[in-house]
Amino acid sequence: MITARGLSKSYWVARHRRGALGAMRSLVDRSGREVRAVRDISFDVAAGEIVGYVGPNGAGKSTTIKMLTGILVPTAGEATVAGYVPWNQRKSLASKIGVVFGQRTQLWWDLPLIESLELLRFVYRVPVDRFQANLTEMRSLLDLDPFLETPVRQLSLGQRMRGDLAAAVLHEPPLLYLDEPTIGLDVVAKARVREFLARINRERGVTILLTTHDLADVEHLCRRMIIIDRGRLLYDGSVEALRQRHGSHRTLVVDLEAGATIDGFVRDGVELVRADGPRRWLRFDREAVSAASLISSVVARAPVVDVAIEEPAIEDIIRGIYEGGLRAEPAVSE
Amino acid sequence: MDSQIGAELAICRRLVGARLRGQMQYRGSFIAQIAGNFGVNFVELIAILILFSHFGAIGGWDVGEVAFLYGLSCTSFGIAHLLGSGFSSFSTLIHQGTFDRVLVRPVGTLLQVLAAEMQIRRLGEALQGVLVLGAAIGFVGIEWTVGRLVYLPIVLASAVLLYVALFAIEATVCFWTTQATEVLNAFTYGGSDMAQYPLHIYDGWLRGLLLFVVPIGFVIYLPSLYLLDKPDPLGLPGFVPFLAPVAALAFAMAAAALWRLGVRHYRSTGS
Amino acid sequence: MRLYFEVARRSFQRHLTYRVATLAGLFTNAVFGIFFSSVYRAFYQDGERGVVADFTLPEILTFVWIGQSLLMLVYLWNWWEVADSIRTGDVVSDLMKPMDFQLYWLSRDLGRASCHWLTRFVPTFAMGALLFDLAWPGTISTWLAFFISVNLAILVSFGWRFLLNLSAFWLLDVRGINTIAVLVLNFFSGLLVPIAFFPGWLRTVAEWLPFRAIVMVPVEVFLGQRTPQSALLIQAFWVVALRLLGQVVLNAAVRKLVVQGG
Ligand SMILES: Nc1ncnc2c1ncn2[C@@H]1O[C@H](COP(=O)(O)OP(=O)(O)OP(=O)(O)O)[C@@H](O)[C@H]1O
Ligand SMILES: [Mg+2]
Repeated sequence: MITARGLSKSYWVARHRRGALGAMRSLVDRSGREVRAVRDISFDVAAGEIVGYVGPNGAGKSTTIKMLTGILVPTAGEATVAGYVPWNQRKSLASKIGVVFGQRTQLWWDLPLIESLELLRFVYRVPVDRFQANLTEMRSLLDLDPFLETPVRQLSLGQRMRGDLAAAVLHEPPLLYLDEPTIGLDVVAKARVREFLARINRERGVTILLTTHDLADVEHLCRRMIIIDRGRLLYDGSVEALRQRHGSHRTLVVDLEAGATIDGFVRDGVELVRADGPRRWLRFDREAVSAASLISSVVARAPVVDVAIEEPAIEDIIRGIYEGGLRAEPAVSE
Repeated sequence: MDSQIGAELAICRRLVGARLRGQMQYRGSFIAQIAGNFGVNFVELIAILILFSHFGAIGGWDVGEVAFLYGLSCTSFGIAHLLGSGFSSFSTLIHQGTFDRVLVRPVGTLLQVLAAEMQIRRLGEALQGVLVLGAAIGFVGIEWTVGRLVYLPIVLASAVLLYVALFAIEATVCFWTTQATEVLNAFTYGGSDMAQYPLHIYDGWLRGLLLFVVPIGFVIYLPSLYLLDKPDPLGLPGFVPFLAPVAALAFAMAAAALWRLGVRHYRSTGS
Repeated sequence: MRLYFEVARRSFQRHLTYRVATLAGLFTNAVFGIFFSSVYRAFYQDGERGVVADFTLPEILTFVWIGQSLLMLVYLWNWWEVADSIRTGDVVSDLMKPMDFQLYWLSRDLGRASCHWLTRFVPTFAMGALLFDLAWPGTISTWLAFFISVNLAILVSFGWRFLLNLSAFWLLDVRGINTIAVLVLNFFSGLLVPIAFFPGWLRTVAEWLPFRAIVMVPVEVFLGQRTPQSALLIQAFWVVALRLLGQVVLNAAVRKLVVQGG
């Protein structure tokens, strides 16, 4: 569905000088610097996949999506999306994709939601019966009815996002780009958006490329994830593999009997990371220490009421990656 | 191909309809604005009349003949301004990054931008132009032949096309910088103002500019020589008064090409 | 005082950074200057008249170029910064600050104007002088009087614009009033045609309005058609009158804001 090869985008940003003299100088001298927002990124997305595209602020996520929709022309590199080169065959591609920019609505600001949707029917030339069928489905899936007649500018963020989602899929695009579709939403609204996306992916086979800062979105929806930072691709592979490979630490949580203690417990590859009342958190390297042996050595030292093992949260792994980078790891997919 | 364009125009009509419904919500301010726009031009006309009251003629043209030029220019400029409203507010579309959504839809970008805005208040400008044009035609007593009768609407249409193209170029520049809109005002407003007087009063370089760079002279002044049956003091070949549609089309095509180039330079916004 | 000086200084610097806009604006001034000059030149040729309503051709060309140079300096059109702050609600926090609201905006405007003296007035006038034969004052004192008169024109213009902006407290949409303001200003400031050209009754109307103090009076001072004393009198009167009127309207607006919550 998507092939990107060596995509790069640089922005030229004019330099701002401070003070009166600086301003005088900038009148004549228009120097600036180049921001390399996306550098040499390649990946493929197969039909039917849901891919999470994540990275810290300014990583280049939105820029990538804008190139893949045809909004921006890349500085270098190639891409085909649904068989089209986005920036050269933008209009043909447009009917094949749905786009949601969480930060900005695609709807007409001063028209009721239903009118926006009807206008889009004409824009995308959707046959009336298909439109009606889709609209009925969206109305129940996204629960649009309470605000169908409300002008878009009066909608709450969550309602607007649902409206935007409906608008993006009314013409039945096989590919959906979502740039931060859950930004600013409460837990219930987020869950609803995720459920909707999972559903259209499952039932209609819609391919989804999604950026987000909420990694719970990725955990719920994506089997595969692409991580970029400062324009570079850091990781492309399954979420599970990432967890396996980089989340080698697990945590043993033990509840001790009243008055018991394991202070002074030392073992290679194990670290006491937290203590709260009778509860202790022991982080251990799953390669060096097996869970069974760790449990037995703890039990041997102090009476234990309960044990549990926590898998690393994907969020912690990613934070580790953002902070430390993936240095030694080659960025490859499996 | 033709049905393609027809379909796009139909979409365009719907989009415009939606915009108008939005505007009609403020009917009071709406009528005030039509009147106001009428008035701005009216004051300019008064200024011209005051000048004629002191001088009598300019470049050998009397007040009726200049009023004809004025009416022609104002009518076409007003209609173009109305149709091209989307272009005149294009810099905000660029500033806010809203052009993104134009680019992800399967309809031509030019059409969408045109349809995005339709400021009915500009009807005031066109209306005033029509009134002056009508009065001038009565006043100078044109000798109507079939040729002139047929050519006048063609001239008007050509002038509208040329001005719309000029607005389009003004918008196109926003792809590179949104600070320069004033330069372009010099071409649009300045151009239409200059077209209100006979071209031969300007210095040679300016005349050249108005003929061969922004061919306003080809759509207002030169056709008027024929329509008003005036001698050509510039000594151009006899067929040039009839080049209005050709000049307008060529200019519009150049503007469209520039626009396509601009779209590829669009850089969106950071968020 | 320090506050107002700092506000002005910042505004000055901010305006200096609009470089493309400045060049663009100069270009526009040049185009319109050349346009009006060509028209007047042709009119004078056709009429074969040396002096019309007290203006010789060089004098009328001087009028044209001073007008173009002044346009941005006195910010004749489309200054709606106060109205914008009213619309967005920023005005509330400004009103709560321990400062004179009108003086605050005046400082900003004077900072802007100082910038435009350098970036707009001087270059535009210089272009006119290079391209056309203008009429120059004979004495240094006329130059001085002209300089003072232009600065007073800026104050009059500010007073008027401030008043207009305050209308945003009552009107939702200032576009209508903007159109009318442009129309009245263009005509009665004498920008389009010198007021001396107006027919008698229209001239009387123009003389009773504040707008001639913004464009026409400085021109008349420059051309020696009006004594500095008379110019000073007219302009100072309007500066004071508009400042007081602005204060009265502002008080009413604040009262409305307090009572109705905006
Ligand atoms: N139109 C633009 N002009 C100049 N620089 C830009 C523009 N758009 C983005 N950038 C820069 O390019 C880089 C990548 O921006 P981008 O919007 O793609 O990041 P992002 O990953 O979407 O970030 P976020 O998570 O904050 O949305 C940033 O440094 C940004 O400042
Ligand atoms: Mg982004």
